[in-house]
Amino acid sequence: MGALANPGLPGSLSFDTVIYASAGSNYGGVPALSQYTIYDTPDPAYVTPRINISVFANLGIGAPWPFPNTSVPLNGHVCIPRGRGPFPLAVFAHGNHDPLSNSTPGYLYLCSLLASQGIVAATIDVNFLNGGNFGENDARGIVHLEHVKQFRTWNSTATHPLHGKIDLNRILIVGHSRGGEGVGHASFFNPLPAIKPDIFSPTVPLDGSAGLGPYRFALKCIAAIAPTDRQYTPITGPTVVPDSYFLIHGSRDGDVSTFEGYNTFNRAHAVDLANPTVSDGKLKALLWVLGANHNQFNSTWPIFDPSPATTMPRADQEQVAKVALGALAQALLLDRVEYMDVLRDHATAVAWMPAGATFVSQYQDPERVYLQHEQEAVAPPQISLPVQGTAAADAVTATRVLKDLVNSFAPITTITLRLEWNAPGARLLLQVSPVTLPAERYKVLALRVGQSTEPKNAPNRDQDFTIEVSSGSRTASFPGSSVHRLIYPDVVFGAGKIVMQTLRLPIASLVERGVDPNDIRSVEFLFDRRSSGTLYVGDVQVSN
Amino acid sequence: MRASDAPQATGIEVVATQPTKADRATLAMFESTERKTLPGAAYIVKVRLKTLPEPTSRGFALYVGDLRIPKYWTYRQGIWFKVFDPQFFVEHKGEPIRFSLNDTEFVKTRLKLTVPKMAKTKGGRTAARLPAQEDVLK
Repeated sequence: MGALANPGLPGSLSFDTVIYASAGSNYGGVPALSQYTIYDTPDPAYVTPRINISVFANLGIGAPWPFPNTSVPLNGHVCIPRGRGPFPLAVFAHGNHDPLSNSTPGYLYLCSLLASQGIVAATIDVNFLNGGNFGENDARGIVHLEHVKQFRTWNSTATHPLHGKIDLNRILIVGHSRGGEGVGHASFFNPLPAIKPDIFSPTVPLDGSAGLGPYRFALKCIAAIAPTDRQYTPITGPTVVPDSYFLIHGSRDGDVSTFEGYNTFNRAHAVDLANPTVSDGKLKALLWVLGANHNQFNSTWPIFDPSPATTMPRADQEQVAKVALGALAQALLLDRVEYMDVLRDHATAVAWMPAGATFVSQYQDPERVYLQHEQEAVAPPQISLPVQGTAAADAVTATRVLKDLVNSFAPITTITLRLEWNAPGARLLLQVSPVTLPAERYKVLALRVGQSTEPKNAPNRDQDFTIEVSSGSRTASFPGSSVHRLIYPDVVFGAGKIVMQTLRLPIASLVERGVDPNDIRSVEFLFDRRSSGTLYVGDVQVSN
Repeated sequence: MRASDAPQATGIEVVATQPTKADRATLAMFESTERKTLPGAAYIVKVRLKTLPEPTSRGFALYVGDLRIPKYWTYRQGIWFKVFDPQFFVEHKGEPIRFSLNDTEFVKTRLKLTVPKMAKTKGGRTAARLPAQEDVLK
């Protein structure tokens, strides 16, 4: 880890915390809304306008809001580093919860951390969308974008304390739960001049002519904490997040127990079958946190999920969030590229995490060439064009499946390769034409692999196999376990979830073993380390 | 949340109401952006439930036949959604009301979509004697 500082620990900057809000709500006049009276007296320099979200949403009856949906407030808490800046901006949004309970302060522990590291960090009030409603997550995205717009306005207002203090080219939006779905929609809406939200609604301009927008923010990354998926679906189909995407979710999440954010993750930056080598230049990464639950990512939400005895302690879960999101912010907002290693491989951060905590992580770099992406068809496995070659199974059943890996019970559109063997020595051999595989231009051979709870896997035992890479007469062999554990699923809610681990094998380590990256002829999965097993493979690629 | 947690629907009612100020703006947007002239009414579809949905992350989508209703909201006795174009009722009259957690498995109710009494209109505008939404959603 060298000299890298723990991104979950406070930085050296002092900061001020300011409450901003729209004038005239008078929450104090409504006894049930006592938790919101803090927004009755915002800092005088931080009084915000109201927005009309009536085309997107109605307000729930769970709280007697003192305003209609045509005039909802922009309320929040912002932690502002002292100094001239300009500082990047991070904006957090909560999800659905009892509307009488203010969910907004629940991310101040993360805002404080980021502010101390040199980031203007806010957590916003979207409580007026909370309650028994459903399908309103587009409105959450719009509210989120309107808050970012407010910061842009302040940044450009010569007399405002935030004038010139925000670097608008470095913006991170983070959402939890339904707010986590909402940030995906915000990313989708961000470049649009208008949107027809759904079949019952008219087209709404987002160019400022009707009050909403324009946006077109430079969103460096979208981060979703235990998000829902597809509760709101645009008319054009499920949202495909166009920006870089980070996902964090706990295995003991008793609310979004379906880990449906994995489907959002799959849709983002997927291979374009017509142009498989073309990248949209965006990355995606996920962190699966064994033992973490849903509510403890918000410091004010009580435990709703499994009993405290079976989940990670709250302090540990907050530490995980601080390290993960701190590293994300360091890497993408503060350009400390060395923290990219935390996104690429959670092992980089193990010393900063709670002792004994277990993770699974995935990372897809914008720069990659697939040997196999599996998405051609539910058909026998093949090498993916433009790489040429053959895939041959020996004593292993290799089938492509439309498998709901995480038991989301949602429609599945991503194909996975299933490998099952019954005796040691089985193998899957991927033979490639070396001239079609430019491995020498990349840093790693990366593959996503995970085990299931199917009977061929011994319960609660790590799965393992050998990766063999050959060029000419030289072969390098690596136990998969030497790169990462392939843990047995955490079986909590029904069948355990198959969360694949990205194994990143440095090309340099192949070279050390005599393999010529200009002449890679085969990559082999050799099942010699367990007598039987069932593994799922998401893709095999050379990557950075 | 499991399928067994699905809302238990006990009744359905469709009421033509006076558009709110926001609805009038929405109707104007329909006319300007989609060149669609609609009757000046807002149709409130109320589905009565035994208990209101909990304010959790997940929730059940509401279906009319095979159509997923994009959004719904709560009132004291259940959930509701709003329709501006009465063609919806022509196309979906009598279709079953269902719930789904995941769009692949469905929980049936005994309810079917009913048709509102169409308001008498004059010049494409609904008479002001329709009930106010706040009264319908009490």
